[in-house]
Amino acid sequence: MTTTLPRQPFHVAIVGGGGTGGALAHDLVLRGFRVTLVERGELTSGTTGRHHGLLHSGARYAVKDRESAVECIEEREILRRVCPGTFEENDGLFVAITDEDVAYEPLFFESCLASGIPARRVSREEALRLEPHLNPDLKMAVQVPDATMDAMRMPLRFFASAKAGGAIIRPWTLVTELLIHDRLVSGIRVRDLTNGVEEEIRADLVVNATGPWAEQLAVMAGCDVPIRPSPGVLLAVRGRWCNMVVNRLHPSGDGDIVVPQRGLSVVGTSSWVVEDPDDLGVPEDHVERMYAEGAKMIPAIRTAERRAAWSAARPLIGSRDAESGRELSRTFKCFDHRETDGVEGFVTISGGKGTTLRAMAETTADVICRKVAVEAPCQTREVVTLPHTAYYAS
Amino acid sequence: MTETVTDARTTRVVVSRRKEGDDHGALRYDTFDVAVGPRTTILDALVAIRRELDPTLTFRHSCFHASCGTCGMRVDGREGLACVTPVPAGDEVTVEPLGNLPVVSDLVVDMDAFYDDFDDAGRPLVRASETIPGAARAEGVDELERYEDCIECGICLSACPVAGSDPRYVGPAALAAAWRVVEEPRGLDPGPVVRLMDDEQAAWRCHLAWECSEACPSGVDPAAAIMRLRRSAVGARAHRLFSFGGNR
Amino acid sequence: MASTTVGRGRPATGPARRRGMLGWFDPRGRRLGGLAFILNRLTGLGLVVYLYLHLMILSLLVQGPNAWDDFVDIALSPPFLALDVFLLTGMLIHGLNGIRVGLVGLGLVASRQKALFIAAMVIAAFVALVGALRIFGGE
Repeated sequence: MTTTLPRQPFHVAIVGGGGTGGALAHDLVLRGFRVTLVERGELTSGTTGRHHGLLHSGARYAVKDRESAVECIEEREILRRVCPGTFEENDGLFVAITDEDVAYEPLFFESCLASGIPARRVSREEALRLEPHLNPDLKMAVQVPDATMDAMRMPLRFFASAKAGGAIIRPWTLVTELLIHDRLVSGIRVRDLTNGVEEEIRADLVVNATGPWAEQLAVMAGCDVPIRPSPGVLLAVRGRWCNMVVNRLHPSGDGDIVVPQRGLSVVGTSSWVVEDPDDLGVPEDHVERMYAEGAKMIPAIRTAERRAAWSAARPLIGSRDAESGRELSRTFKCFDHRETDGVEGFVTISGGKGTTLRAMAETTADVICRKVAVEAPCQTREVVTLPHTAYYAS
Repeated sequence: MTETVTDARTTRVVVSRRKEGDDHGALRYDTFDVAVGPRTTILDALVAIRRELDPTLTFRHSCFHASCGTCGMRVDGREGLACVTPVPAGDEVTVEPLGNLPVVSDLVVDMDAFYDDFDDAGRPLVRASETIPGAARAEGVDELERYEDCIECGICLSACPVAGSDPRYVGPAALAAAWRVVEEPRGLDPGPVVRLMDDEQAAWRCHLAWECSEACPSGVDPAAAIMRLRRSAVGARAHRLFSFGGNR
Repeated sequence: MASTTVGRGRPATGPARRRGMLGWFDPRGRRLGGLAFILNRLTGLGLVVYLYLHLMILSLLVQGPNAWDDFVDIALSPPFLALDVFLLTGMLIHGLNGIRVGLVGLGLVASRQKALFIAAMVIAAFVALVGALRIFGGE
C-alpha cells in the first residue's frame, strides 16, 4: 500500500522518456511532487528500448567493476518485487569454451560471490542438458541469476504508475530551449510535434534524463557533462536457441552474450565512441563479429536467419579521452549543476544501464529533495508498479 | 514536397502526414529522397528523414528488432514492422500509419483503443516456455518461462477487413490473448474470458479472412486462436445447456 | 511557482483510417486468405443475384407455355450455357469454400485452413470442368 504525501507545490520537469525518466517520474510522484515528463519521440525510443533485455545479475561486472556488480544484484531483487510477472526468470550461464576461459573461471567465481551474486559451477554435461544448443566443445559453466526483460515493457510499468499517480507524460514533445536567466533554470520551452504548437513549461527544477543526449541538453544551460555516447551493435536472429541467458566466461568482449527474446535470439555487443547519438551507423563487420562470437557459444547462430541488426548508444560517464568505451565505468551519476557549473534549478542523471533505472531515479530524487529542502523518503523499493498496459488506459 | 539527403541509390519515400491544426488535421503525403543501401529498413529511412530533412516527422519505434511492436505501419499498402521491413527495390515506397486506430500525428496511431479491448482478455505477459525440447531446468529455476509471442503491435487489427468496417469488433489481438488464457490459464479462470468473448462483436464477428495471421510478425496466428476460442465457447454453451442443477 | 502545462498530455487524435465495407473487396496487399474471403463474398452476392433471376424466370410459367418455350430457346443458346457454367463454378466455389468456413469457423480444423482452401478450389475447378463439358456436350 502506498502512502501518498501531501502534494508539494514543487514542479519537476523531466526531459527524456527513457527508463530513467519513467522511473524518476514514478519516484517523484510518490514523494508528492508534481511531474511533467517530455520526450521527443516514443517512450524508450532512445537507448532504453534497444538493449538485448538482460536483467543483470551483475556477474558481468563482478571482476572489473565491483560497484556496478553490487548495484545490479541488489536492483535485480528489487525489480522482481516491484515488477512481478515481468521477467523470464530462467537464470543465466557463463560458459567456458577455451582453456583461457577455464583459467579465468576461479577469479570470476570468487568475484561473483564477493559481490553477493549467487553462483554455481555446472559441468559440461549438465550445461548441455540445460541448454542443448550450446557448443558441445564447452568445458564447463557457471550458473548465475541473470534473467530476461522486455526492454520497453518493463520501463513502461514505471510510466504507467507515474501517470496513474498524476504525472503528465508527453511524448512527441521536443525541448527547443531551456528557460534560463542569471544562471537559474526556470523551465523548458517545447514544441509539440503533433501540432507544431510551442509553449513554455515552467518548473522549479529541470532534470536532464536524456541518456546519451545528456550533453546536448546540458549545453543549452551552459553546463557540461562528461558523457560520451558509446554505441554497440546488436544482432537478432530467428530461433529461440536458449531459455537461459548465455554469456562467455571471459573478461568483457564483443559478442559475448546471447539473450532470448520471444522467438528470437539477440547477440551482443560491440563498442566504439561517437559524437552524435543520432547517427550511429551499423558497421557490417561488427555484425559479422556477432555471428562469429555468438556461434562460439551456440553454433546454430552462425546459420540462423538475420531478423535485425542495429546499434544502441550507451551513455558512458568518464574521461573524454576514452578510446573504445569499455574502460569507462557502467555505473551512474547524478550531477547537480549548482555544484558543477554554478547553474541552479538543473540536474543531470546519466550513465547506468537498463537494470539500474530505479536506483538512478532514487538517487536523483534524493538529490532533488535535498535541493528543495523537502523530506520525502523513497517508496519505490516497495510499491508494486502497474502492468505496462495500464499506461494506455483511457 | 521533395527533399534530398545525398546521392547514393536514392528512393522516393512517400510518407503520410497529419498534424492536428494543420488544415484541420487533413491527411497529405510528403515525398523525401533518401539514400538507401542493401540493408536499409523503412525505419532506418524514417530516422534519416527526421534527422536530416524534417524533424517534425513523428513515428513510433523503440527496439529495432521486432520485439516492442511499436513501429507497425502500412508499407505500400501492406502491414509490417518498419524496423524489419527492407526498403523495397524500385523508385518509390509509400509509408502510411496502421489502419483502424485513430491517427495522432503522421505515422503515430493512438493505441488506447487497442488496449481497451486487449486488456479485457486479462492475459499475463509471461508464459511457460517449451521451446527447446528435452531441456532440463537449472537448479533453483521452478519453471522455464518466456514472454507471450504477441508484441501488441496492432498489425493484425489493421489488416482485418472486418475491423476495417466495424469499429466495435474487439479484433484479433484481444481474441488471441483470450485464447491464451484458455490454453494456459496460469491460475486464472478461463470461464469468464470465454463468456466475454462469446459475443457477436468478439469471437463471432470474424469472417475468416485470415489476414491477421498472415500479417502477424510474431507468429501468434490469431485466426486459429479465434476458431479454437469459438469451439470453447460452443462447448461452454453446450455444457450450460445440458448441465442439470442450473449452474451458470 | 505555478507552471503552465497544457491539458493532461493526451494529444488530440484524428479519425482512424478504415477501408470500410468496400475495403472487403480490395485485393491490394491481401494474401491467400484475404483473396478467399473476397471470392466468397463475390460468389455469395452472385448467387443471390442468380436466385432473383431464377425466380423471375420461373414466374414466366404464369404466362403460359409460349412464354416458357421462348425462354427455353434462349436457355439453350451458347452464351446462356456459358452463363450456366459460370453459375456452376460459382456454386462450387461458394459451397466447397463454405464447407471449409464451417469446419474451420467452429474450431474443428483451425490450423489447416490454407490446405483446405486449395483442396476446395482444386475440386471446384475439376467438377466445373466436367460440368462444362457435359453442359456444352449437350446432355
